[in-house]
Amino acid sequence: MRDQPRPPGIPERGHAVSSAPAAVSAGRSKSASRPPAAVARRAVARLTMPVLLLLPAMVIIVGLVGYPLVRTVYLSFTDTGLGELIYGGSTWVGLDNYKEVFADEHLRASLVNTVVFGTVCVIGTMVFGFCVALLLNQRLRGNWFFAIAVLLPWAVPALAASAIFKWLFDSRYGFVNWVLVELGFSGFEDYAWFAGRFSAYVAIFITVVWQSFPFIALSLLAGLQTIPKETLHAAAVDGAGPWNRFRLVTLPLLRPIVAVLVVFSTIWDFKIFDQIYVMAAGVPDRAADTAAVAAYREGFALSHYGLGSSVAVVLFVILLIFSLLYVRLIGREGTA
Amino acid sequence: MRKFSVAVVGVVLAAVVAACGGSDDQQTGDKATASGKLSGSISVWIMDPGSPKIQDVVKQYGTDFEAAHPGTKVDIQFVPWAQAHDKFVTAMAGGKVPDVAEMGTTWTPEFADQGGLVEQPKISKGDYVSSLVDAATLNGKVYGKPWYAGARALIYRKDMLEKAGVEPPTTWDETMAAAKAIKSKVGGGVYPVSFTGLSEHMYLPTIWQAGGQIATQDGETWKSALNSPEAAKALDYYASFYKDGLDPKAAVGWEEPDAQTAFANGDVAMLIAGGWTYNSIIATKPELEKKMGTALTPAGPSGQNTAFAGGSHLVQFQESKNKDLGAAFIDFMLEPAQLNKFTSEIGFLPGTTDGIKASGYLDDPQRKPFAEQLLEHSAVYPPSPKWGGLEGANIFDGEIQKVMKGQATGQEAVAELAKKMDEEFAG
Repeated sequence: MRDQPRPPGIPERGHAVSSAPAAVSAGRSKSASRPPAAVARRAVARLTMPVLLLLPAMVIIVGLVGYPLVRTVYLSFTDTGLGELIYGGSTWVGLDNYKEVFADEHLRASLVNTVVFGTVCVIGTMVFGFCVALLLNQRLRGNWFFAIAVLLPWAVPALAASAIFKWLFDSRYGFVNWVLVELGFSGFEDYAWFAGRFSAYVAIFITVVWQSFPFIALSLLAGLQTIPKETLHAAAVDGAGPWNRFRLVTLPLLRPIVAVLVVFSTIWDFKIFDQIYVMAAGVPDRAADTAAVAAYREGFALSHYGLGSSVAVVLFVILLIFSLLYVRLIGREGTA
Repeated sequence: MRKFSVAVVGVVLAAVVAACGGSDDQQTGDKATASGKLSGSISVWIMDPGSPKIQDVVKQYGTDFEAAHPGTKVDIQFVPWAQAHDKFVTAMAGGKVPDVAEMGTTWTPEFADQGGLVEQPKISKGDYVSSLVDAATLNGKVYGKPWYAGARALIYRKDMLEKAGVEPPTTWDETMAAAKAIKSKVGGGVYPVSFTGLSEHMYLPTIWQAGGQIATQDGETWKSALNSPEAAKALDYYASFYKDGLDPKAAVGWEEPDAQTAFANGDVAMLIAGGWTYNSIIATKPELEKKMGTALTPAGPSGQNTAFAGGSHLVQFQESKNKDLGAAFIDFMLEPAQLNKFTSEIGFLPGTTDGIKASGYLDDPQRKPFAEQLLEHSAVYPPSPKWGGLEGANIFDGEIQKVMKGQATGQEAVAELAKKMDEEFAG
């Protein structure tokens, strides 16, 4: 971006920032001829505008991300309940809540569910997204139409999609069971998808993948279209079949974008809430709850805001670890 | 371009802040004047009854009240039941409470315990459905006026029972026998009952029917009474229908509305439900009115046929700035003539004895069982401040589901539940 010639007369916002070090060093070299106060004033004047411009964004980020984060971490070390939340006066309990998170069978299970089910969803979304992207990348008639149609699931609110899929998987009135029975799988007559953890996860997995593949597919499609045709032709001339072309040429070239998409998907699928909240509510003993739902229920339903916060913090830490891991992996590949 | 978008964000932000702050002082100056004449405005939260027709009845209360008291303003908002508990919590935490609200009877002690509700003076038990006054009582003080009440009874399909050759059951044993007969003789994929995994108002009362208790009070503290052979027997009885295939397979994960849908669709022969459900089934499937019969809840081994008395209270919040107007509006809604406009639509009974007399419910043979169930065979859950939380977290559902799925015995489930309840009562 920066190398591109800028049209004259249009000052860019980056200008003030990028030229600041130059101004400072220039000022330093002439420091003998100028009083330091003037230099300082100039520097302040140069910084005022950027700071002012950044301020609204800063206020929003600090207000909407920073404060809740700090407050959640603080609450997680207290015994805050409904009364303490309204009138204050909570007590510091140290790590008690965290001990409870790992001691409580349901909360511990919800963390395991989050990691296992989240990972499966990431893999499912990436694989399906890749398949769709490769299909859309073919020069087929009407592919532009499909490229737009693919976006539709993404535009459906998660809550609405969950409610729709819950009905699709309904035991007696659901479309899925009807189709399966018509196809000859009579075991699915009145099959109760949400009466067991595994079958419920199958239904929720399909919902999550259906909802999140469009973004992955379109991002990968964009990536696929940047791959020079010559490279693929050259590989073909050298005798590489379609699978080897994909494995040895396409995939390595797409690696950076795949890595970013995996990070995004991980964050989305680990903090999955709506689908679980709607679809897994009836799973016996709430065995299919994920950490986000468990934190919500612990906090808002049982009014154990301290314990709920600590579940949220543990989820945050898990996400942080996964994200850092991926970032490191990307970095290593970049240097390799 | 970037400068422009930053400016836009700034303007939007300012607008948002202004919008949020704008409602702050809505109620300043809305005080009743010293002379006793009502003035000012109040905000009222009513649980969303779901149907526009019933909403209109409630809205009409506001309009009529404003007409009777010129210079007053009643702002009625509908809050969905599912979000109501959270909404009350956040409203209290943020100091933006309504002046008057409808509150589920099991929540009233919880919010009263936080000091959020105004004590209602001059409540005499004879004027109201007494179990609902109990439900609003915390440490001897009453914090809500019963608005409407209801208890679940038995709704059945006359035609299906006839085909199976059985009479409406009056005891647990008869229920089981009827269920087996229906299963073998009716066919067509019809299930005899729909005992669901997520409806505590269906399964908890079976503990009373078995002769057990849910919790006992000692001074200000409560102790779970679930760890008893009676309670274990009750859960085993409830789950046996599911285990024997007399209950839809999916019912383990159903909530009450799912059971009602199945009944309305003709997939279920017997349903434990209240008068409000009876009304809504007739509203959706008028042809079922002739096919449906009603009876009291079947009695358990103790001879008791107790059902849960549910309903709601009208409460006032401590932080309300216009308590006089709020109290006047509550009293207006509780006048027998006004009350019955609402309760007859919604299928509940009025929470006042005068209201019940005026309702004519006791003269309608189809609806009489619901009234009789409430007035003579109903009880309330322990009015402990902790109950709302227990209910909110559905701690009971998980254990009953385990018993239904055969993963735990009734005795194991009640022992576990008693432990959880006591932790919650103590905490």
